[in-house]
Amino acid sequence: MISFFRKHKLLSAVAALIVVGALWYLFRPEKLFINQRVNEPAPFAAGRDAQPIYTGRLSGKLHDTSGRATVYRQRDGTLTLRLTDFHTSNGPDVHVVLATADDPALQNTAPGKALASVEVGGLKGNEGDQDYKLESKTDFTRYGTVVIYCERFHAVFGSATLQPF
Amino acid sequence: MNHLQRITSITVLALAATMTAAFAQSSTPVQTGVFHGQVHSTSGRASIYKGSDGKLTLRLTNFKTSNGPDVHVLLIAASDAQDNDNFLKNNVERVELGKLKGNEGDQNYDIPADTDLTKFHTVAIYCERFNANFGTAPLEKF
Repeated sequence: MISFFRKHKLLSAVAALIVVGALWYLFRPEKLFINQRVNEPAPFAAGRDAQPIYTGRLSGKLHDTSGRATVYRQRDGTLTLRLTDFHTSNGPDVHVVLATADDPALQNTAPGKALASVEVGGLKGNEGDQDYKLESKTDFTRYGTVVIYCERFHAVFGSATLQPF
Repeated sequence: MNHLQRITSITVLALAATMTAAFAQSSTPVQTGVFHGQVHSTSGRASIYKGSDGKLTLRLTNFKTSNGPDVHVLLIAASDAQDNDNFLKNNVERVELGKLKGNEGDQNYDIPADTDLTKFHTVAIYCERFNANFGTAPLEKF
């Protein structure tokens, strides 16, 4: 076998080259280190209206809560929180607030511990689509959890973790 | 109203109608989901936009996956998929949306007009050469 390679040096070299080339084409190992970045705009005309920048699904804690919470940014920079397909139980003094994801009160399984929250507004209705104005300087990297919160009993009805849209 | 006036007004009306139609078109998200994928560390969001003309577009945002050969964007008829799922072998029904344009960044893919989104409601980033599922995003109503 070795003598075959010695006799046909050129042939062996060409064969080796083809094998290496084929393996390279198949595995493309350089792609492990090379990134290909693209930056296409949103589908046409989407830029004219308010754009969603964060969104998350609401899930119930003490009371069944469902739907979606989305933060929209208008062209003038105004921020709006919109609840869609929303449903929670009715209750006294229920508010929409923002909290930090690691707030221990979010883990409450019974009314009790107070939530360190940023007030958004009193809940307009326990069902249906609704909008709330947000402070334009709201820091969503910190206050990134939307909470439906009963202030009177410190009860977390439900919450949604916002993620970049 | 004389003949010329009538023609002028009709022309103006037609022009206005055309321009309104052209500018009134917009696109809104109808479904969205977040990518998960451990083996090839995939993250970001997949959303389906519906245009006022009915056109469907898949858009990836804050997207990141590993680069690789022959990577495709698929819509699959499943509610989710594991990292080691082999779609070609398992005969999972799928809609091919095209080759992955880039392993990072925002990007759009046309969805065939007759696609049933109630059936194909999960996005997969799939390497066809090695049957490797890089990442999966189950979609939910936006």
